[in-house]
Amino acid sequence: MNIKKLGKLVLPYLVWMSVLVGLPLLMMVVLTFLKSNALDLGTAEFSFDSWRILFSDVTVRIALKNSFVNGIIATIICFVIGYPIAYIVANSNFSNKLIILVLTIIPMWSNSLLRNNAIANILSERSIVNDVLSNIGLNFIWPIRGVVYESGFSPAVVIGLVLTYLPFMILPIYTVLEKIDKSLLEASMDLGSNKIKTFFKVTFPLSIKGVTTGIIMVFLPSFSGFAIPKILGSGSLVFIGTLIDSRFMNRNYNFGSLLSLVILLIIFGSMALIFKVDKEGETLI
Amino acid sequence: MSKKLIELRNVTKTYDDITVVDNISLYINENEFITLLGPSGCGKTTTLRMIGGFEKPDSGEIILNGVVVNELPPYERPINTVFQRYALFPHLNVFDNIAFGLKNQKVPKQEIAERVETALKLVSLPNFGARKVANLSGGQQQRIAIARAIVNRPKILLLDEPLAALDLKLRQNMQYELKEMQRKLGITFIYVTHDQEEALTMSDTIVVMRDGLIQQIGTPTGIYNEPRNRFVARFIGESNILEGTYVRQNVVSFMGVEFDCVDIGFADGEKVDVVIRPEDLDLIDPVGAKLVGVVSSSIFKGVHFELCVIVQEKEFVIHTYENKNVGQAVGLRVDSYEIHLMKVEN
Ligand SMILES: Nc1ncnc2c1ncn2[C@@H]1O[C@H](COP(=O)(O)OP(=O)(O)O)[C@@H](O)[C@H]1O
Ligand SMILES: [Mg+2]
Repeated sequence: MNIKKLGKLVLPYLVWMSVLVGLPLLMMVVLTFLKSNALDLGTAEFSFDSWRILFSDVTVRIALKNSFVNGIIATIICFVIGYPIAYIVANSNFSNKLIILVLTIIPMWSNSLLRNNAIANILSERSIVNDVLSNIGLNFIWPIRGVVYESGFSPAVVIGLVLTYLPFMILPIYTVLEKIDKSLLEASMDLGSNKIKTFFKVTFPLSIKGVTTGIIMVFLPSFSGFAIPKILGSGSLVFIGTLIDSRFMNRNYNFGSLLSLVILLIIFGSMALIFKVDKEGETLI
Repeated sequence: MSKKLIELRNVTKTYDDITVVDNISLYINENEFITLLGPSGCGKTTTLRMIGGFEKPDSGEIILNGVVVNELPPYERPINTVFQRYALFPHLNVFDNIAFGLKNQKVPKQEIAERVETALKLVSLPNFGARKVANLSGGQQQRIAIARAIVNRPKILLLDEPLAALDLKLRQNMQYELKEMQRKLGITFIYVTHDQEEALTMSDTIVVMRDGLIQQIGTPTGIYNEPRNRFVARFIGESNILEGTYVRQNVVSFMGVEFDCVDIGFADGEKVDVVIRPEDLDLIDPVGAKLVGVVSSSIFKGVHFELCVIVQEKEFVIHTYENKNVGQAVGLRVDSYEIHLMKVEN
């Protein structure tokens, strides 16, 4: 609460924030209560239509469910792969652990759309992999793209999500594991726990902050994003992100705004959870 | 009482070509309070860690109750450790910290609760079970660390400079309490410190170490009164060390004067190091004294004065109850049994 002390220095920032964040947000809220032709406010009329659709339309529910299912699966896979990687790197004797971490981050420097398009290509029917597999009689395995389970689980989308967001799981977990005082592990062994017990009774509980941060950092973009489902999903599978995208594309700004608000609330809730678990924000690097 | 509990036989440990613990051998009896004493970096912690099972000796054997335990991991040794920086589990409260070892041993719940409460009483922190570890003071954390170790009733308790982080008053209290605890519980304590006073106060046996080598093993009085070499004499309290010659049986000469002495076992004419503790030098009238000097400084130390007296360009430290003025001439006298002779090291 030192804003007052900074006085006029914060003014540009406040103006900037209100024009580029506050105003649009307010605009979104207003839009949800209107029925307008795109942003033509002259002909807009007051209406609860968007809110009614939100609670009655099955598509919204299916989209939320699909986003949730794929987001959760991607998050679990990221955790299952990411925790061991973070653990191994944190406990390795490599002189420069940072280099190994950078290796996991480097792919993030290339555009994720490009990467996911590449993945889409590999997973499709006309890929090298499918060529090879079908030539040795394994044509029932590939392509993965287009496979959708009843639950809404799309392996291709999950692969894209995992490959894109894995570093966000590894980094916060690595950060907390690295900070654990080695003498705590020795104390645990001194008091009769073998290595496995020590992991579950000391190491893992002490890394829970990093795990929470990692889960939220992977789940949120997986849940709300639209690019990856759009590139890797099959056309029939609707996600909350793609739904918003299509509403805006169809100039239905009212409903698009409302869906965006819903996601925003979910994100705020999750952030509140992070700050509750990790008050000092240590895991956020 | 004096049953051999643990023995180190020719134990050596090397890190990157540096021999940190060099072929040391010693044994520790049941119920003994033994202290590893030496300057920082001399290998005390490494020795302790090998006993605890956190490091493996490169060669030599660690024998517990007649069995070689070199390969036994820490969680299978009947030994507990009080770590230097406590190493309390931050995610557990005081009760769960102390119960940690008992839960591993599958002790029934009811018994755990009782033993934890007993341990807390023993360290004078009853009803602290529900507290968070992070909210305790350094001294309290120290006590919890001790409670967490002794609640398991180990055969041996290892303590690595457990009081180093506490202030003087608290440290002295804890020294006394630890000694009491050890007597009451009948646990063998292996204690590490670089503080000679602490070692002298608490130990049954002191092992003086330097550069990974054992310099001397003995009782506090034995080591104080009969240091084996210059290093031990200097490290254990203050002392005046002089070069001398063993003239003949029971006569030694130093500072150009012959003195009666009681130490034997030297050849006639052999060079010796002479040790005289500051409190063993008496001030007398310069007239007729064997050693005459001039006071060069005087510091009040609370109970006594610490005087520096220059005799033949050599500085003597003397502890005395009567003050002398700087510049005053004084005579020095020492009783024959206060003169301690040591072999000269090459
Ligand atoms: N894990 C290690 N790797 C390399 N050198 C070490 C290691 N542990 C201790 N040493 C070195 O061994 C020497 C003795 O250390 P230590 O046993 O901790 O001494 P003390 O406890 O007497 O101060 C020191 O010079 C220290 O630098
Ligand atoms: Mg040490």
